[in-house]
Amino acid sequence: MIKPLILLLLIFSITTYAQDLSELSKSISDKKKSTEGKELKKKLPSSKTKDKALLQEEKENAVLNYNSISKVLKKDGLAGHKEKKEEKLKKIKEIQSQQKLAKYNYPTKADFWSFMSEYWLVKKAQALQWDITRPAYGIEQAFKGLLEELGYYKKKFKILIVNSPDITHVGLPSDKDEVIILLSLPFMRTLDLTKVDLSVILLEDFFRVEQFYFAKNIKTDLKFLGGNFSGSKMNKKYLDNLLSEYDRIIYKSGFSFQQQYKTTKMMDRVLKSNPALWSAYIKVLNKIDRLIKVNLLYKNYNNIYPSPELQIKWLTPKKKVI
Amino acid sequence: MESLKVSAIFILLTSSVFSAEKTVGTLYFTKFMGHIHKNPSNSSSSMTTIQCAHPLKVLEDPEVRTPQGWMYVKAGSDKGFVSSKFLSNKRPLCFQEKYPKFFINLNLDLTDMYYWGKLYDQYSQGESRIK
Repeated sequence: MIKPLILLLLIFSITTYAQDLSELSKSISDKKKSTEGKELKKKLPSSKTKDKALLQEEKENAVLNYNSISKVLKKDGLAGHKEKKEEKLKKIKEIQSQQKLAKYNYPTKADFWSFMSEYWLVKKAQALQWDITRPAYGIEQAFKGLLEELGYYKKKFKILIVNSPDITHVGLPSDKDEVIILLSLPFMRTLDLTKVDLSVILLEDFFRVEQFYFAKNIKTDLKFLGGNFSGSKMNKKYLDNLLSEYDRIIYKSGFSFQQQYKTTKMMDRVLKSNPALWSAYIKVLNKIDRLIKVNLLYKNYNNIYPSPELQIKWLTPKKKVI
Repeated sequence: MESLKVSAIFILLTSSVFSAEKTVGTLYFTKFMGHIHKNPSNSSSSMTTIQCAHPLKVLEDPEVRTPQGWMYVKAGSDKGFVSSKFLSNKRPLCFQEKYPKFFINLNLDLTDMYYWGKLYDQYSQGESRIK
């Protein structure tokens, strides 16, 4: 009875052992296959990275690398096309780098003066009190008419009324064929100037700007204009110095005798053909001369515009001695 | 009750249609800086400061009276008036755009920008023409 049982047990254990063995060998072969696969995968780039690499390469050489089919390209005339594309690409790259560099440009002379004059006006807004509610005086119409009458066409002007006696009248440089003129409200009121009187004063300032006297009187370095500050910090000192120069010219030193003489003579030449305007000019100079001699508020006027008394002398015809 | 509801909705809809403002176009601000005014007057208070080349939606509102020489505009959430002589339908090439780094380095503060905008309101401008 025991024998067949032992036999059965033996048979069962043998079969299970055989099964284990076959499973073990199967797993070993699977593992081997998988490691081989991994190694293969390692050796070969994955399809994704391959695509990526190819794309990158394609991008880089899309325009440049035609070596492999150079003969065909030559035959088809595509080599010339390639050269053209290369040139175009080169130009585009140059333009892009120039544009990047140009962002760091200082303004050119042509763009600078209107900016600078307005920058000064903005910085002096509180002192000059130009942000005031004022009636429309109609000065711009009178001055426009005067310019047209005298043959100064296509000239732009900006008139700003300031509520300060520190400035009487002054022309500031601006864009080409444009002038910014400041007129003092207290000065206008004290002298009780008419539109014609004011227009004549504005014309004098207009001539000074046209002759670049203001810009010429600036002593600080202007070499930075049109330059570039790429790779360094913008030197704001240039602007600060210019603000001080504006202050100096407008409040202290003004214009030279020579400049005044030339301006006065120019006014004489232009206005002589119109006696009414010429006599208005003389009348205004006389009014200013009287004012600055009696009113302490305007004692500095002679330093800025030397001098109404001299101007009258320059304008008065000399008596001929026979 | 139902008819009352319908008529109320109808009234609401029609009133909103008729009173609503319309955007009739876009114009660009052409000066260095400027202001959108509360009222169509240079001395009117400023709603906001705008810079050159700022696009402004031109509005038409039957409830808002816009005198000649002015435009009723919207910039962001601000609505107000800008003198039409400062506007153009073409985008201008501005100083800020021509010299961007120079402009940024000026570090203009709010006061500067406010006054720069006011400057254009205060100028009496003109140009002589050929007779």
